[in-house]
Amino acid sequence: MNAVWDWISAVADWAAANWNPPGDQERGVWPRLVEHARLAYLSILIGLAAALPLGLACVRWTRLYPPVLTGVNVLYAVPSIALFFLMLPYTGFSDWTAIVPLALYTLVILLPNVVDGLRQVPDHVRQAAVAMGFGPLRRLLTVETPVAVPVIIAGLRVASVATISMVSVASLVGLGGLGQLILSEGFRRQFDAPIVVGIVLTVVLAFVTDALLVLSQRLLTPWVRRDGRRRKRKQRAAVPAGEAAAVDAGADPTQSAETGNGAHPWMS
Amino acid sequence: MITFEGAAKHYPDGTVAVAGLDLTVESGRTTVFVGPSGSGKTTSLRMVNRMVAPTSGTVLVDGEDVRSQDPARLRRSIGYVIQQAGLFPHRTVRDNIATVPLLLGWGRSRARARAAELMESVGLEPSQAKRYPHQLSGGQQQRVGVARALAADPPILLMDEPFSAVDPVVRTGLQDELLRLQAELRKTVLFVTHDIDEAIRIGDRIAVFGPGGELAQYDTPERLLTHPVDDFVESFIGYDRGVRRLAFFPANELALREDVLLDDQDTVERALNTVDTAGQPWALVVDAQRMPLGWVDVDRLRHEPSGLELGRLTLTAYGHTFDVERDSLRAALDAAVLSPAGRAVGVDPDGRVLGVVSQADLGNAIWSVS
Repeated sequence: MNAVWDWISAVADWAAANWNPPGDQERGVWPRLVEHARLAYLSILIGLAAALPLGLACVRWTRLYPPVLTGVNVLYAVPSIALFFLMLPYTGFSDWTAIVPLALYTLVILLPNVVDGLRQVPDHVRQAAVAMGFGPLRRLLTVETPVAVPVIIAGLRVASVATISMVSVASLVGLGGLGQLILSEGFRRQFDAPIVVGIVLTVVLAFVTDALLVLSQRLLTPWVRRDGRRRKRKQRAAVPAGEAAAVDAGADPTQSAETGNGAHPWMS
Repeated sequence: MITFEGAAKHYPDGTVAVAGLDLTVESGRTTVFVGPSGSGKTTSLRMVNRMVAPTSGTVLVDGEDVRSQDPARLRRSIGYVIQQAGLFPHRTVRDNIATVPLLLGWGRSRARARAAELMESVGLEPSQAKRYPHQLSGGQQQRVGVARALAADPPILLMDEPFSAVDPVVRTGLQDELLRLQAELRKTVLFVTHDIDEAIRIGDRIAVFGPGGELAQYDTPERLLTHPVDDFVESFIGYDRGVRRLAFFPANELALREDVLLDDQDTVERALNTVDTAGQPWALVVDAQRMPLGWVDVDRLRHEPSGLELGRLTLTAYGHTFDVERDSLRAALDAAVLSPAGRAVGVDPDGRVLGVVSQADLGNAIWSVS
């Protein structure tokens, strides 16, 4: 047991000692973490920025989707290491060498989610929008896109975790944030503390990012039904058949009483 | 006024959705398109706001071909209610209702004020304004759908099976509400349903569509029930159309008997005097407010102790009553058929007994209107 504790404290000591060594910007843990987050977030944002218009276009012109999907899937099959090296002649050792391939991977993961999200708008909602006098573009932007947000964010969660873990691979071309700890500090020197610190911080970064995405979904889509909670409530509240589909019971407990007063006998 | 002139819809694979429809929908009235599924009623409805383009023929609104107008602009001037309401899940009730006013460029505050006004007229609580559609029952969602269609005060309202996804009790309520609104607003309503009972309740005029998208009959509900033009219409209406037609005759002309009403304070002896004069086999016991208590069998009354108060007897349940002022002969007949005494109890709006009518008297009344 003591051996484990010793090992853990040795790792922690190493992390503290190397957290942000003054004068040695390149080798500190903190600068690597910042670099990792920067590479990952920029890639995700660029991937999202590309996936949205591409997805909208694929929904608007349905014949576009099969070839586009095949195209991006082929890209996904190319190993990331290969892509990083292919980028080198064009972008050198700048951040773009890591960002361009990673953004492409994000795009591949997100595109089907954007398209499926836009397509899952119920037919009666879409038809109502047409009948209200929405033009095709306005309908896409103000009805179908907001309704697709939960599905898009679900895709973003997968894409962000994948990207955050893949940034480390870019350490092979001299980038890679926390990947540098794992590769150059740990692997080459047969020293396990930097490897452990690199892995733990990568996982923490992925978790925090995921939590931020979940939070932003709650804020962006207050209208989404939280199914699990609702069903339990529905069983507890004994409401008449007509009202059964009603009522987030918790939101307004007086509701069923109000509607049962007979002024509108059909309300209950 | 909406005019269909030989409007037809043929699909490339040869199916005929609508086979040349000639029909005029009068302004300010409710016209119902009814028929089995696949009879082209919804397709015809959608020609009006250009959601479906006829392959031949034209549709005119107030004499103007709908194709001469920009589709989005045309649709904003025609209210539309769809089955399952079609509410936008990401918008609150208030913003759903304000949709068309906002598209028309009203200011947000004016659009919201209008939404609040409409929520009241369709019977929604103001507290529901900021809710999301999934927090409402099916019936409430459908009322939001109606409010949304009325928001910009369009002269025409298209309703595509609006009430078919809710349960029967809620549906009846929604129909009542539509009738009330329509009496007030006098819109040109075009209503599609597959339910002939709904068509008869709602419609001023009914168009029955047959298989193959053919218009089988276009008539008033009463004419439809009395004179179906062919076997298809007759079987579509159903075998009990004779009884259903009675719904068009008010019950207030029935001759009600008051001489068989007994006070629950009376003794058996006094009651026997009353019923012997009337010569009827059943009498109805009422309380001091003339609320019905139950039937008493005159033969059994003779065997009761003469000093007993009627209120202490075990009475036979009077079943359901009919409102003399508001109900029809159909309701009166139904009450009489279901009553163990074979007699229906007619009441005023407060439920006080005005008199009773026997099946035989009802039969005469029905004979005289047929």
